[in-house]
Amino acid sequence: MPIVKLLRQTKYQVIAAAIVIAVLLLLWKPEILIEGIQRSSLYAVIALPMALILGVVGIINLAHGDFMMLGAYTAYFLAVKTGIDPMLAMIPAILAFFAIGAITYLALIRPVLGSPELNQLLLTFGLGLVLEELVNLLFTSQPYKLSVSYVSSSLTLGNFTFGTFEFVYVLAAVVVFIGLHYFLKKTRLGQSATAVGQNPRGARLVGIDVNRTYLIMFSLSIAIIATIGVLFSMRYSVFPLAGAPYTMKSFCLIAMAGIGNLIGILWYSALLGVSESVITAIPGAAGWADLVFFALIVAAILIRSYRQRVK
Amino acid sequence: MRKVLSILLILVIAIGIFISGCTPAKPATTTPPATTGPKAPTGDPIKFGATVTLADITGKEASNAMLLAAKEINAAGGVLGRPLQIVVADDQGKGEVGASSLDKLATVDNVYAFIGGMASGVHMAQIPIMKKYAKITVTIGAAASVVIEAPFADADWYFHIHPWDYQQTGGYITGFKEMMVKFPQMALKKWFIGYEEGAFGSAGWKGFQTLWPQQGWDVNGASFKSALLGGGDYRAALRQAKDYGPDAYMWLGYAADALPMVEQAKEINFAPSMFIGAPPGWPTDFGKSPLAEGVSLFGMWAPSLNAVSPSAKHFWDAYIAEYKTEPTGYFAPLGYTNVYVLANAINKAGTLDQAAVISALKATSYDSPTGQVLTFKPSNAIKNQGFTSQKILQWQKGVQTVIWPFDVKTADPAYPFPAWDKR
Repeated sequence: MPIVKLLRQTKYQVIAAAIVIAVLLLLWKPEILIEGIQRSSLYAVIALPMALILGVVGIINLAHGDFMMLGAYTAYFLAVKTGIDPMLAMIPAILAFFAIGAITYLALIRPVLGSPELNQLLLTFGLGLVLEELVNLLFTSQPYKLSVSYVSSSLTLGNFTFGTFEFVYVLAAVVVFIGLHYFLKKTRLGQSATAVGQNPRGARLVGIDVNRTYLIMFSLSIAIIATIGVLFSMRYSVFPLAGAPYTMKSFCLIAMAGIGNLIGILWYSALLGVSESVITAIPGAAGWADLVFFALIVAAILIRSYRQRVK
Repeated sequence: MRKVLSILLILVIAIGIFISGCTPAKPATTTPPATTGPKAPTGDPIKFGATVTLADITGKEASNAMLLAAKEINAAGGVLGRPLQIVVADDQGKGEVGASSLDKLATVDNVYAFIGGMASGVHMAQIPIMKKYAKITVTIGAAASVVIEAPFADADWYFHIHPWDYQQTGGYITGFKEMMVKFPQMALKKWFIGYEEGAFGSAGWKGFQTLWPQQGWDVNGASFKSALLGGGDYRAALRQAKDYGPDAYMWLGYAADALPMVEQAKEINFAPSMFIGAPPGWPTDFGKSPLAEGVSLFGMWAPSLNAVSPSAKHFWDAYIAEYKTEPTGYFAPLGYTNVYVLANAINKAGTLDQAAVISALKATSYDSPTGQVLTFKPSNAIKNQGFTSQKILQWQKGVQTVIWPFDVKTADPAYPFPAWDKR
C-alpha cells in the first residue's frame, strides 16, 4: 500500500488536502479556485525576491513594494510615451533596476550591514518613504492606469466565465521560482549565494567574495520585483502607495514559510490566496478576508514553533 | 567590476533623464498684478488663508484655482483697492496638521478669512480652531454631515459650498427619478452597490440601504477592498452583482479602482443597463479607454460644461493658460469659486467689517464655473449652505457629459450601457 505509506508523511498529507480542497472548489464554484490561484501567484511572485534578499543578505527590505511601484511607473510612462506594449517594458526595467539595485546596495545597504538589525529595518523603511514621497512630488497622488485590451480578456467554459490575463502571474511565479531554484542550486554564483546566506564568515574563509555576492543578489532581487511591477501596472492602478501593502504581505508570507524556504512561500501563498478568494465570494463576508489572512499567519507560525519544539 | 558599475551608472542616468522628461509640467507661480487697465491694487494685502492637501491632485488643483482667481481679482483692481493674497497651508490630509495650519494662518499670517478645506476628517479636527477665532470661513469640502454639520448650527460666519452627503444622495434620487420620467425606457428599479470596505464606502452603503427602499427600489450590495488599501480585485463583488441581475450597478470607491473595475466587469461579462461609478475623483486617462463609454458618474463639474456655461468656459481657458494643463476634478472650479465669492462679498460690503461681509455673503448670487448659480440658504443644520446637489454625468466619446440636471445638460443619457463587445 504505497499510497497509505506516503500519506503518513506530512508533505503528502498537505498535497492530498490541497487536491481535495481544489476538487471541492471546482465542484462548487470553479472561478473561486481559478481566481484564488491567480491571486496566490501574484502574492508569491512578489514575495520571492524579498525572500532572496532576506535569505542571502540577511536584510528585511521594507522598501520592497516601493521598488515594485517604481517598476510599475516605469512601465506606464514607457508605454505612454513610446507606445510600446507594456510587456516589452520588462526588458529595460530589468536592466535599469538591476543598476538601481546595485547603487542602492552600495550607497545605503552596504554601510549598515554590520549594524544592529533595527537600524537596517529603519533604513529600508525610510528608503520606502523617500521613494513614495519622491514619486508623489513628481507625479502627484493621481492614479495612473494603462488601458490594455487583453488585460480584460476572458474564457467561457460551460456556464462560467473567467479572466485569463492573470495567468501571467501564475507563469511569472513559476518562472521566478524555477529560475531562482536553478540559480541557487546549479550555478556557481547561486551556490556561493547559498553559502553566504548560511554562513558569511565561513564563505569568506573559503574564498567567496561575500560583498560581491550581496551586491549581485540585492540587485537581482530589485530587478525581479521591478519587473513584476511592470506586470502589476497592466492590471492595477499605479500611485505612490500602490506597492506598500505588498511589502507587508510578502513579509508575512516569508514569516510563515521560514527564511530561505522558497517552496514554502508558494504553498502559503496558495493557502492565503485561495482562502481570500473563498471568503470574498461568500455574500457579506468580504470584510473578513484580512482577519482570516492574519489568523492563518498566526496559526502557521504557532504550528511551526510547536513542531520545532516537539522535535 | 568598476567597468560594470560605470556602465550601470550611465544606464541609470539615462533612465533618470527619461523619467524626468515624463514629469508633468510644473504649474506656474502667480505673477504680479497687471499694471494696465483697472487701477492696480495698493496697500497691505488682504489675506485669505486656505488649507488644502497639496499632495493630493484635488488639493493641488484647488490651490492652483484659488491663486488663479486671486490673480484675476488683483488684475481687476483687487479687493477694496488692496491686493488679495492667498496664503496656502498644506494640511497633508491629517487632522492634527490641518488644525495647527489653521492656527498658524490665524496668528502668524493674520489672515482675514479661512477658505479651502477638503477631507471631512481634517475639517473635523479644525472645528475647535475655527470656533476659537470665529473668522469668516467659506469652505469647499467636508461633506460628512454627521460629524461636521451640527457643530456649526449657530455659526453665522460659516459658509459651506459643497453639498452635504445627504443632499448629494437626495440629488441622485431626484435625478434618476426625473430621468426615468423623461426617458421611460430607463427603468432603474433594481440596484446593486459595490462599496469599498472603508468608512467612505460603508457609510455610503448604509445610506443606500435606508433611502433606496423608500423609493420602492430594490437594493443589494457587496464590499470590496479598494486598490488604495492594497486591494484591487473586484471580481467577487462583481460576480455577486451579476448573480443579482440589477438594472443599475453602482460602485463606491476611489479613483484607483475606476479602470480596473470596468476591466474586471468586462472580464466576467457583467454589463447591467446602467453602470455608475462614484469615486471622489477620476483618473485622468479613464476617458481614453473604450471601456469608459457609457459609464455614469457624479460630480459638480465637467469640462463639457464649457459648451453651455460661459463661466465654465472662462475658467477652463484661464486655468489652462496659467498652468498649461487641464483641471481634472471639480475641486478646481470650487476653489476658484471659493475665492471669488468671498472677494465679491467684501467688495460689495465695501468694508472688512465682519457683520457687513457676512450679510453680503448671504446675498451671494455667483454664476460659478460649475454651471450653476451659487446662493446660500439654510440646510438641515447650518445657516449658510451653498450647492445642494451634484450632477449626474456620463462618459461619452471620451468626455464627461452632463446628463442631469436638464438645465445644464450637455447630452442625453446613453442607455442602456453598451455591451462590452459592442465598443
